[in-house]
Amino acid sequence: MRYVRADGYQEFAAARAGHLYRSACLLTCGDTHLAEDLVQETLGRVYVKWGRVSRVGNPAAYAQTILTRTFLAHQRRRSSSERATDTFPDLPDQRSADADASLRLTLVEALGRLSAKDRAVVVLRYWEDRSIEETADTMNVSSAAVRTRCVRALSRLRELLGEDLGEYATR
Amino acid sequence: MPVEHHEDPFESRLGDALRQAGGTFETDRTTLASGGAVRGRRFLFRRRAAVAGGVAGVALAGVGGALLVPWGDGGTGVSGRDTIAVGSSAASSPTPTATATGPVSGDELLRTLKRLLPEGEVSGEEARGTGSELNPYAHVVFDDGEGGGAVSVGLGRVEPGSATARDMTSCPDKRLVPHDSCTTTRLSDGSVLMLLQGYEYPDRRADTKQWTATLVTTEGHHVLVSEWNAEAEKDAPITRPEPPLSPDELKRIATDAAWRTAVDAIPDPKNTGSDAPPAADGTGVRKTLAGLLPRDMKVVTDGGQETEYAYVVVDDGKGESLVQVNVQPDIRSSDPKLDISEELFGSGAEVLPDGTKMTTKQGPGDDKAPGLVMWTVDTMRTDGMRVVVSAFNSGSQTTAPNRDTPALTMAQLKEIATSEEWEKLL
Repeated sequence: MRYVRADGYQEFAAARAGHLYRSACLLTCGDTHLAEDLVQETLGRVYVKWGRVSRVGNPAAYAQTILTRTFLAHQRRRSSSERATDTFPDLPDQRSADADASLRLTLVEALGRLSAKDRAVVVLRYWEDRSIEETADTMNVSSAAVRTRCVRALSRLRELLGEDLGEYATR
Repeated sequence: MPVEHHEDPFESRLGDALRQAGGTFETDRTTLASGGAVRGRRFLFRRRAAVAGGVAGVALAGVGGALLVPWGDGGTGVSGRDTIAVGSSAASSPTPTATATGPVSGDELLRTLKRLLPEGEVSGEEARGTGSELNPYAHVVFDDGEGGGAVSVGLGRVEPGSATARDMTSCPDKRLVPHDSCTTTRLSDGSVLMLLQGYEYPDRRADTKQWTATLVTTEGHHVLVSEWNAEAEKDAPITRPEPPLSPDELKRIATDAAWRTAVDAIPDPKNTGSDAPPAADGTGVRKTLAGLLPRDMKVVTDGGQETEYAYVVVDDGKGESLVQVNVQPDIRSSDPKLDISEELFGSGAEVLPDGTKMTTKQGPGDDKAPGLVMWTVDTMRTDGMRVVVSAFNSGSQTTAPNRDTPALTMAQLKEIATSEEWEKLL
């Protein structure tokens, strides 16, 4: 049967799930439930195409692309107009005394003020370290569009977080 | 074009901050990994059903799946598909009168479905007749007064007695496809009927129930009747505790002879298997690639995989250049969830005179090798065969470039990718 996966999928999924989940958490501004859902959906898709994905190309990059597109498709369906959120889901493990949690909260809040696509650009460019071209491919848009979004998102984040990102990034 | 580096200090600080913040999100990876596998198996379970019954087509025609959307079509989920949507109509007329040889229209399938439904209101009609390449189906929203539920019938053929036929009527493993009840019975005419009371989402993240009746006859007719306790398969609120039809009613609908007549009218019986098209032999791919190179190219080395993929490293006297090719059989799928052809060859693709779709790209190769350039010509024939050729300004995909541009021009790559020689491999 075709749905018996060759060895390798399980190892891949176990190795990448954590990273995909963290990406998804940034994309969803800390909505961990949605993030889990997106990651499972992504891994499900990778599972279906594992034979091809594992042979050709780079499965980790493929999975990240699927995650981004699944996220954007979800956003598109949820809201016909692109808009930034002003409210934030409950964040688990909020330990305001803890500096990491505080950084996370601040960053996640700032990301939440970007539109979904701008946020995807930021996550791909600065979390995934993708080039403009790769980001454009992943999002199925032109590199010019990525540049525009990137400039806009950076200027918004500068405004929200401060030029030196406060004390956070230096720790 | 080299990969850009972040020169703005804010950008690198942002990267650091993201990594620091992102790193604090932790979860149970094993659960996510196995959850992904469960969904993957579920997709394949549905694909097998779709191959023979068109049920996923039904699902997608209405609403698009939860978190499952075909790419690049503006989000309608039905782009390029041969779907007939007809307006809501209360008119119910007698049984369709298709002959065994003539096609059965989508309207006729809808009339049959409405005739078989109990008293109630019908809306949201959609159907595809037997004349399409894709499997026929009829889909309505049925409301018996207690709340609307989607009801769909998908039709197809399956090899009688085959493993696929047995699979379709074997109750699935509860760990893969959670359900409340599942029974399989052999009817007096030898047909096998499976009644499954399950859920739309295997992880039960929503309470959408999906109940199905799957019938496979001794002649290989496959009828799949599905219903939901929501007006659409996914992304629609629950309208009632359970779908509108009882398992007995599902059985009565699935076993109606009109469906078998419609299955007999499906023209092409050969495309009912669940196996993938044959893959191109790797040695053949390598030889073909070598044969298509310009004569003045010296092949330094070559290699590849058992199927589909091969590469050569050529030297035109100015340094080594890796050229690789992938030859894939029909990459299209009747199930939009699994179809990558739109993703790759959407609206931006150039259409050549013979109908082949082509996209080209000249971009950076790999982050790890600054300055690495990758030129790609990607093509899809009208039969769905994909040939994608890439050339690099290096003898490897991941090492530093040893020349400014690849040894082959874009025109030469196009010539290779569109050669008729590839078609002989499949």
